[in-house]
Amino acid sequence: MAAASATAVAKGNGGGGGRAGDASGTRKKKGPGPLATAYLVIYNVVMTAGWLVIAVGLVRAYLAKGSYHSLYYSIEKPLKFFQTGALLEVGIVPSSVVLTSFQVMSRVFLIWAVTHSVKEVQTEDSVLLFVIAWTITEIIRYSFYTFSLLNHLPYLIKWARYTLFIVLYPMGVSGELLTIYAALPFVRQAGLYSISLPNKYNFSFDYYAFLILIMISYIPIFPQLYFHMIHQRRKVLSHTEEHKKFE
Amino acid sequence: MNLSLVAREATPGLLPGLNGLPRPAPPKVTKKPKKAVLFFEVEILDAKTREKLCFLDKVEPHATIAEIKNLFTKTHPQWYPARQSLRLDPKGKSLKDEDVLQKLPVGTTATLYFRDLGAQISWVTVFLTEYAGPLFIYLLFYFRVPFIYGHKYDFTSSRHTVVHLACICHSFHYVKRLLETLFVHRFSHGTMPLRNIFKNCTYYWGFAAWMAYYINHPLYTPPTYGAQQVKLALAIFVICQLGNFSIHMALRDLRPAGSKTRKIPYPTKNPFTWLFLLVSCPNYTYEVGSWIGFAIMTQCLPVALFSLVGFTQMTIWAKGKHRSYLKEFRDYPPLRMPIIPFLL
Repeated sequence: MAAASATAVAKGNGGGGGRAGDASGTRKKKGPGPLATAYLVIYNVVMTAGWLVIAVGLVRAYLAKGSYHSLYYSIEKPLKFFQTGALLEVGIVPSSVVLTSFQVMSRVFLIWAVTHSVKEVQTEDSVLLFVIAWTITEIIRYSFYTFSLLNHLPYLIKWARYTLFIVLYPMGVSGELLTIYAALPFVRQAGLYSISLPNKYNFSFDYYAFLILIMISYIPIFPQLYFHMIHQRRKVLSHTEEHKKFE
Repeated sequence: MNLSLVAREATPGLLPGLNGLPRPAPPKVTKKPKKAVLFFEVEILDAKTREKLCFLDKVEPHATIAEIKNLFTKTHPQWYPARQSLRLDPKGKSLKDEDVLQKLPVGTTATLYFRDLGAQISWVTVFLTEYAGPLFIYLLFYFRVPFIYGHKYDFTSSRHTVVHLACICHSFHYVKRLLETLFVHRFSHGTMPLRNIFKNCTYYWGFAAWMAYYINHPLYTPPTYGAQQVKLALAIFVICQLGNFSIHMALRDLRPAGSKTRKIPYPTKNPFTWLFLLVSCPNYTYEVGSWIGFAIMTQCLPVALFSLVGFTQMTIWAKGKHRSYLKEFRDYPPLRMPIIPFLL
């Protein structure tokens, strides 16, 4: 969900706020001033670079180890840094703050409250599944923004952004769900992040039950976001047929 | 064009716009002075598709939008007046029910744009439902109805006085709200969108269940500072309940029954209303105070969270109300803040 939702956020941005050149967006494109544009370009370039670092790190670790297991450790730090850094997007992006923050929070939740907190899942292959999905998605998404801001968007990037999600989104969701599922027994065992009665604030919280609720919430949310993206794809890529010669 | 003069003629004149209606009978010669009665025509178009939905002719110039809505409902019965939004511009603001046709900036043929507001439900219905829920639900937990706590606790009673007190306070609060809905409040809007009832009930009923679960739990821990804390909290609660009620009565007295007038509220002889000197919405101020009192009384984190969420929402409402007071009244007292004296 977090994988494709990132693309959905970007799509939701449409015009304004530095997405100039995005043919799918709203028609009224009031671009940001030069200073804001510079900031946005730098931000998007840095994020693209960051995720490329993660991609390269994964490949190198794979080649060095000879297996795709437990690659998480080789990219743990840049992953945490750049995914958490996406919190900066909330508010600078013209799309609804609620939607953006929801999507960034779900990614950050997975990184910190699941993968980081439950050390036993860090060796799971499901982690690699969502890390790869996120990495490819983000590299494309941030370069899309960068090129859009500079008004030189190669069709390939636009195509990639609105097509690869078809595979990457379910891939990411699977990785996320499997990881949460793998974490459950360890959360139960350790009573992680849970408080029970009695206590003087008369409050209780069962993190295990909370994680199960999170997993269930994927059921209504994932199809909505996925089909929204499919719909956007049809709109964007059919419009591009007309604009292609101008790029 | 003096229609009454024309109407006098014997010819079956089909005047433009009268669409073949039988000509009115020629008026008898009387001593009454002739008044020019200029009827309006109203066409109603769909705001999105511009499709012509309805054409009304011979509309009285002093007809109100409410009357026009009633006429529109005759041709489209599924769109009862409460769910109609009529406006002069497809993207403009809704016209008010009290607006008079001839006072609007329209020619003798008025074009109105219609937007369907969706299924509507009356405010009274929503309020009664959303308040009856917590009253009932809390009692389910208080009496420890089966399947909530372990079987050995079914229908047992807490040994803590504060738990009984909390039940009285919580129940009193919602009974008060129900009675106010029935007998005190004067609503400026009759209805709200139907989906609101689901949203609102989820909020009220959900939080009521969550709070009640802990306060009435067999493992409930009474407040750290004991009876002292409970007494203080109860005092805060009672004062704020009285305050809130006083404000509701004061607001009701501002507005005569059946009217939708808006006036600046001022302090009355009742000391609880003196808070009007400092805030625009003291009813919200007292409401937050009540829940803070309840939170201190029960020393229950979910109650504190409920108070916080309620406070956030009421602040948004208070700021909106404050803004519209400022817009509507030039002489609005400058010392007043929306909800918290001097601060917010």
